[in-house]
Amino acid sequence: MAYYLILFAAGFAGSFHCVGMCGGFACALGRDGRGRSATLLRHLLYNTGRLTTYCFLGALAGAFGQVICTPQGSRVPLLGDSFDVAQRTVAIVAGLLMICMALQFFGHLRVFHRLSVGFAASTLAVALRSLLVAQGVAAPLAFGVFNGFLPCPLVYAFAAEAASSFRPLAGVLTMAAFGLGTFPAMLMMGGIGRILTPVWRQRGVTFAGGYILLLGLITLGRGIAPMTGHAAHAWAGGHFG
Amino acid sequence: MSAPDEGLCSHCFLSIGRRPMRVMVNGKSRAFCCYGCCIAFQVKSGKSEEWDAAWILIRVGVGGFLSMNIMLFSILLYTGAFTGADASALPGIELLLWILATPAVVILGGPFLVETWSNAIRGRLTSSALIVVGVGAAYAYSALAVVEHSGRVYFDTATMVLMLFTVGRYLEAVGRARAARDLEPLLAAESECATVVDGETEHRRSVREIDAGMRVLVRPGERIPVDGMVLEGESWTDEAVITGESRHVGKNVGSPVMAGSINLDGPLLIRSSGPGTATRWAQICRSVRDALSRRGATQRLADRIVAAAVPLVLALSLLTVLYWAHRLPFDRALLVGLAVLVVACPCAVGLAAPLATSIGIGRLARCGCLVREPGALEALARTRSIAFDKTGTLTLGEARVVNIETEGVEANEALARAAGLERHSEHGLARAISLAAAARGLKPVVTREVRIVPGRGILGSAEGQQVAAGSGPFMSDLGWSLEPSLSARARSQEAAGHSVVYVGWGGRVYAVLSVDDSTLPEARATIDALRDRQLNVTLLTGDIAAVAQRIAAAIGIDDVEADLSPEAKRAGLDRRRRFHKVVAMVGDGLNDGLVLAEADVGIAVGSATDLARETAAIVLPKNGFWMLPWVVDVARDVRKTILTNLMWAFGYNIIALSLAALGVLQPILAAAAMAGSSILVVANSLRLAGLPDPSPSLPRRPKPETSGRRVSPILGPAIEPG
Repeated sequence: MAYYLILFAAGFAGSFHCVGMCGGFACALGRDGRGRSATLLRHLLYNTGRLTTYCFLGALAGAFGQVICTPQGSRVPLLGDSFDVAQRTVAIVAGLLMICMALQFFGHLRVFHRLSVGFAASTLAVALRSLLVAQGVAAPLAFGVFNGFLPCPLVYAFAAEAASSFRPLAGVLTMAAFGLGTFPAMLMMGGIGRILTPVWRQRGVTFAGGYILLLGLITLGRGIAPMTGHAAHAWAGGHFG
Repeated sequence: MSAPDEGLCSHCFLSIGRRPMRVMVNGKSRAFCCYGCCIAFQVKSGKSEEWDAAWILIRVGVGGFLSMNIMLFSILLYTGAFTGADASALPGIELLLWILATPAVVILGGPFLVETWSNAIRGRLTSSALIVVGVGAAYAYSALAVVEHSGRVYFDTATMVLMLFTVGRYLEAVGRARAARDLEPLLAAESECATVVDGETEHRRSVREIDAGMRVLVRPGERIPVDGMVLEGESWTDEAVITGESRHVGKNVGSPVMAGSINLDGPLLIRSSGPGTATRWAQICRSVRDALSRRGATQRLADRIVAAAVPLVLALSLLTVLYWAHRLPFDRALLVGLAVLVVACPCAVGLAAPLATSIGIGRLARCGCLVREPGALEALARTRSIAFDKTGTLTLGEARVVNIETEGVEANEALARAAGLERHSEHGLARAISLAAAARGLKPVVTREVRIVPGRGILGSAEGQQVAAGSGPFMSDLGWSLEPSLSARARSQEAAGHSVVYVGWGGRVYAVLSVDDSTLPEARATIDALRDRQLNVTLLTGDIAAVAQRIAAAIGIDDVEADLSPEAKRAGLDRRRRFHKVVAMVGDGLNDGLVLAEADVGIAVGSATDLARETAAIVLPKNGFWMLPWVVDVARDVRKTILTNLMWAFGYNIIALSLAALGVLQPILAAAAMAGSSILVVANSLRLAGLPDPSPSLPRRPKPETSGRRVSPILGPAIEPG
């Protein structure tokens, strides 16, 4: 459980990053004319849509990890090794990916940022803007679903973490913890608007970067050093191991 | 024009066929060829603020929400998350899946069901029917399993197949719209609006309502909506769509402007010179729309195959289920049948030809080349024989002085005297002589008492001497002496097919001017380039043999038939068709309409005639003869793309179908692969849009205004001193 709490905290910290782009959507989603509860419902639905997409991605990533790392031909003794190799490869790739994302949060590797924000801002987000202003309960939900697919370094980092869990359920829970972590900030953006000063946002982003860097290093460690790997796995995913 | 219901999709400009999908967007009724285009159009028009109907996007989003939840739980179910202690939750989970799946199937499957139904009542089965039957079976079986607490549920398969097909169709539509990008400016003529200035007020009007004399304001970046003349302003314009001219053209007060060209930098106030529907741009628009909405031979074949495939696939799928039902549990057999249905969906086959053709048409249009028949590109790609008309096609179509033979005087003196006489005449030869003198910077000798002898020549007096220019007999009539060597040279010029003009003064003939239509400067390089493409080149002309031979020799054509009547030209084409099966004919579209219509591909170059009356399938822009090899290249690439598309689509279908029938392929993977197959066809076709522009290495004719002295890179200076 502690593992998912860490993820939740990372999601919470990382959501100060989300405020930059997705927060804009939450603001644009605006208030419902029928009162506070209707506004809250609108934003809950939007965030539920987003969360569903994250969980789905988590399940896919987890299933993907499981498929490539399940020893299907265990009759051949050599495959026992290759199973280990595959698992390590996924862990290394996921760890490196997360470290890249973390570095990007610290202001290095701008190219990732430009790629993700540039694409999202230009095509999908602009095109889907119509959903933000559409009335009805379903529109925010639909927008949330699409929003979840927008390229975002945070989502990539946690999807990588989900893949390295090698189980769909763990993948879903990883992404769910992260997604729920982003809820408070996003709901706040919808309700209160831009109350966060850029200084605080930057602190949040740095904080999230630190978290992701740590997670990335642990994941990478699982791939590289056998002893550390076991220890880290036992610590990080012990409850489902 | 085609029938109204045979129009083009609002999104991708492909033919919508007989059963378009009609949807109201922004208060306007729009027709789409498929569900994917409908979604993509809504996403695209979401950029504009007035857009209000997001229902399709909402449907897809909610459908996605439901099916992702279903998939999520199903993955957990399959990976054994609900075994052991959690097994008691299983019926509850299955019920939950059913509850989620029902609206998802309705929302996502609705459009497919509507399409299937509207076709079914007309007695047709389309590929949507395959999806409806497959998904319906999976859903019904799973619902039954929940009620009876027996077997496994496959709600995830049902919804994910629908979701993947929806997403696949959307992505395909996005790709198709990219393909239509080059066509957009050509098809915009009908829907374009113009800012009409009436006194102090401005209002937007449809181009159809514009008439001669109206004042129209064109802002920078806008397309000029009507033909007219600039009243105020200065700007550069891009006329590539209409003329194929890639250079920007400067405009200021008094310049004529062409509808369809883009105003690049400054605002222009123009006075319309005619109705908005009578511009060349509007004609091109109608012609392209017509070409796109008709179907080429390959397309008709593909359509027939698709129509025949659907019932076959249904039958095959049924047989598969029956076969496997003996060997596997019924639910497994059903799943195999579903995979067969999904994977055999012949969407990619139906897309292969029209997409590549429309991209090819768009690519050519970007350089001003117009394709008026969808089959023309395929036919041009197959042809191994191209026949040319001479006058106006391989030649400039206007007389020029090509040679001056003199005896005892300077060529310039003879030319100056001849020009002094001929400026009083309207004859075509006279114009050629005046132009030649002007090109050399000669001042015509002042000539008085000029008398024209019709059909023979012209007579006058200059510098106190009698001067004459005309035919040989005219000089004999005058009794003027002619040196035998000059006479011999004149005869050899005549034998070569030139018209000769004798020039003399003071009782003696001093010079012989040869006047002829000369070849296009780019003709030889173009013919060589065509021959490099393994094309057999022929000259079919109504002109006399000597002229035809000389022109053919100059540009490197060996196969020449001269003295042909239009009927004889057709016979000549027929003879070549026997050897080469498909023949193309290139003419100027003015006097060879019959022959162009008779050829498998008629190509008109720089035709000024009304497009509607033209018989050519492909129209090259004015001065666009040099583009011909490039057009052949594009046509061949289009055909190659169509063939690779079809090979891929059929090959893929057959392999995947076999795998599915053997029970190797999961239905969800089958649906993903199916959607991927269509997207691959789109991606393969899109390569055509990136084909290079016509090669600049071919010599281009200098612009008329800068061509005071034309020097051909092939033939050297137009006039050689005698």
